[in-house]
Amino acid sequence: MNARDGLRAEVLKYIGDGLRAAPVGFEDLALKVFQYQFSENQPYRRFCERRGLTPDKVTHWGEIPAVPTAAFKEAALVCGGPERAEMVFRTSGTTQGPDRRGTHYLRDLRLYEAAALPNFQAHVLPDGARLRMLILGPAVELAPDSSLSWMLDRVRREFGTPDSAHFVDDGGLCLDELIAALAESEAGERPVALLGTAAAFAHLLEALEERGWRFRIPPGSRIMETGGFKRGRREIPRDELYAMLVERLGLSELYCVAEYGMTEMCSQFYDNVLRERARGRSPDFRYKVVPPWVRSQVVDAETLEPLPGGRVGVLRHFDLANLDSVLAVQTDDLGVAGDDGFEILGRAAGAELRGCSIAIDEWLTAQR
Amino acid sequence: MADGATLDGYWLPMPLGDTPLGPELETEERAFGPGHVRLRVADLTPHTLREALVALRNSARAVLADRPVADIVGAIEAATRRLVEPDAALREELLSVLPGLTGFSAPMIEVGLERMGAGWTADALRGALQSEFGDLAVLDDFQPRETGGLQRAFGPQLTVHVFSGNIPGVSVTSLIRALCVKSASFGKTAAGEPYFAVCFARALAEVDAELASCLAVSYWPGGSEDLEAVAFSEAEAVVAYGSDETIRQVACRVPAHVRFIGYPNRVGAAIVSRAALGRKGAAALAEGAARDVVTFDQQGCVSPHTIFAERGGEVSPLDFARQLAAALEKLAEEIPRGTLSPGESTLIHQLRAQAEVRGATVLAGERGTEWTVIAEERAEFQPSPLNRVIHVCEVEELSQALKALEPVGRQLQTVAVAAEPDALTSLAGRLGAIGVSRVVPIGEAAWPAPHWHHDGRFQFLDLVRFVDLEQQAE
Repeated sequence: MNARDGLRAEVLKYIGDGLRAAPVGFEDLALKVFQYQFSENQPYRRFCERRGLTPDKVTHWGEIPAVPTAAFKEAALVCGGPERAEMVFRTSGTTQGPDRRGTHYLRDLRLYEAAALPNFQAHVLPDGARLRMLILGPAVELAPDSSLSWMLDRVRREFGTPDSAHFVDDGGLCLDELIAALAESEAGERPVALLGTAAAFAHLLEALEERGWRFRIPPGSRIMETGGFKRGRREIPRDELYAMLVERLGLSELYCVAEYGMTEMCSQFYDNVLRERARGRSPDFRYKVVPPWVRSQVVDAETLEPLPGGRVGVLRHFDLANLDSVLAVQTDDLGVAGDDGFEILGRAAGAELRGCSIAIDEWLTAQR
Repeated sequence: MADGATLDGYWLPMPLGDTPLGPELETEERAFGPGHVRLRVADLTPHTLREALVALRNSARAVLADRPVADIVGAIEAATRRLVEPDAALREELLSVLPGLTGFSAPMIEVGLERMGAGWTADALRGALQSEFGDLAVLDDFQPRETGGLQRAFGPQLTVHVFSGNIPGVSVTSLIRALCVKSASFGKTAAGEPYFAVCFARALAEVDAELASCLAVSYWPGGSEDLEAVAFSEAEAVVAYGSDETIRQVACRVPAHVRFIGYPNRVGAAIVSRAALGRKGAAALAEGAARDVVTFDQQGCVSPHTIFAERGGEVSPLDFARQLAAALEKLAEEIPRGTLSPGESTLIHQLRAQAEVRGATVLAGERGTEWTVIAEERAEFQPSPLNRVIHVCEVEELSQALKALEPVGRQLQTVAVAAEPDALTSLAGRLGAIGVSRVVPIGEAAWPAPHWHHDGRFQFLDLVRFVDLEQQAE
């Protein structure tokens, strides 16, 4: 067994234990992963060396150099080189062509699954329900390099009933079929799980409003919504979206779970609400739960120094499941840290850019 | 001011602005800018706005129509002194309030006041007017034309300005242009800088209350269609500054018979030829380029985004980039960069990393995002996220720079150039053909001359209407 395989086994074990027990030894493992990445991931090594942050200098997981997500657009940040990747995930396309898309090379899908599946289960299906999944996203064949499509597909196969299905084809959302499935759920009193992007839900809600439809889907039905695929559609504030979902579908808001993930990370984050509800608590507020194999930091946007809880800054994640790429990822999302999670306040969007510069935010958007 | 007292963020003529406030005018407090500066803004209704606009037009007829231009520019200079002279109370107020309103550092505001004020003197304004009209007298009375007959220039009775918030003081220049052609003005301020124009009106009122009655300044959220419909229909000219989208939105709501002048977003660049990269001059050049970048943190339409440096000089483009970095570091103390929102800072960190991993040389301030130089061999115009992020692109030949600028030709305004005098005219000609409207020495990009052709157009002639008086043949 080579060093990488040994480390992989340790990480898989840590993740596997993660949601059952509170595992110890994150620090050790993170530092070992950093050492491995430093020696095998050449662009990352250079990134660290320029900062003078080499494994002999880094003694705490929080000091591991975090790579801003934009760097995934320019370099193959993967141990052992991109040719060894089992899967390649890319951020959504831009007008500047495929070379400007963030690319995450995955050497090993097993790590992705190990992180994604139990975390999904813990936060979306904490009651152990097996539901028909109505997926408002394309099947993996239609979007082979989308990490979200891959994950939804994998989740459907793992946790969905056999009649679970994707409701997006080449022409977009298959509204008629989706509405029929909702009607079926309501009539048969068979709860469903709807999974998809906020934009897809907005589209569905618009259609329901236009057609004057209102459902009361059975208790236990739930929604997993994520901010992905938001290009081209106006974003609706999450509160409004949930209020409309409650009104049009008859769900409880506690059954609306937001997922936050990114192409550059193997692990995802989910709202606490449904999990707490399954434990018999009624959560006071929503936040994203950090799974035990991940650490999240909020850093000052200007100095990149870690901030105390309650202060707004940039989110930075340290994800053990990113074994073969980079463990430490600096996002362009703004957030606030809480006790065992964080709240997202939105993206450092170009809309905030001031100045007398032509469509500069369009250009920058196109580059992301 | 800085101590948190609420300031009046409007200037409205009689009868509305009379003290005590006319019964019809309601105000509300709002916090503006990163310093959450509290301003009392007028809560205008379409009805009260129309009254204000009618009052302005009446003032224009009563006050401006018969005022000689010479007299008007004199009053403007006197008002300017109250804004920019050391120890002037209004200058102190601006220096204390504008950093919190705009995010710019106080030293930046100070430089801005001085340099902009230099363009608002009687001499500067006369010069600018003469460069467009020849003889100023044509604004006061009929004057003979070389081709026979007489002509006289009339400004609009009322010009409505839609300001943008990026550079403090551009609003004042806009009001002054209108005053110079005897137009009353209503200025709609932007949330990004809602106060300077108000102070100008107050300064003018101190020296010439009659003239100040021809100005009104107020804030409302851009795109308030009911108010803007009134403003645009009562105006004879609408001047708007802003993003391409803002200009498009305003333009389509201005009635056909109202003159519309739009200043959309522009970008700048710089070109340094190998001849200019001599051992002697390069450091001074880098210092000049740094000032172009530092001034108003690149928020201006004149600001450079990318500097193209030609290979083969005594100083390599990379060494030039290093000198530029050193100059930016020095200037970071003299004129600190403004405060950024977390989003703006984040974008700069992201961009630095992106450039770094693709192999560019990233030279950057180490405290935070205070300045960034991204140097690489790349013949491509690269837009900056602003706030002192500058790309230095190494090119084999200047023709590569010209080619790289072509795709953004329609948005280009200022290109700062360092080249041999012999080559300058031909280079400027080629830049002009691409779409550039201003070619200046490096270090001068940020401060257009008072008589410049703004976006290649006339400052005053675009506003006026000539009346031809054709005389009967004897």
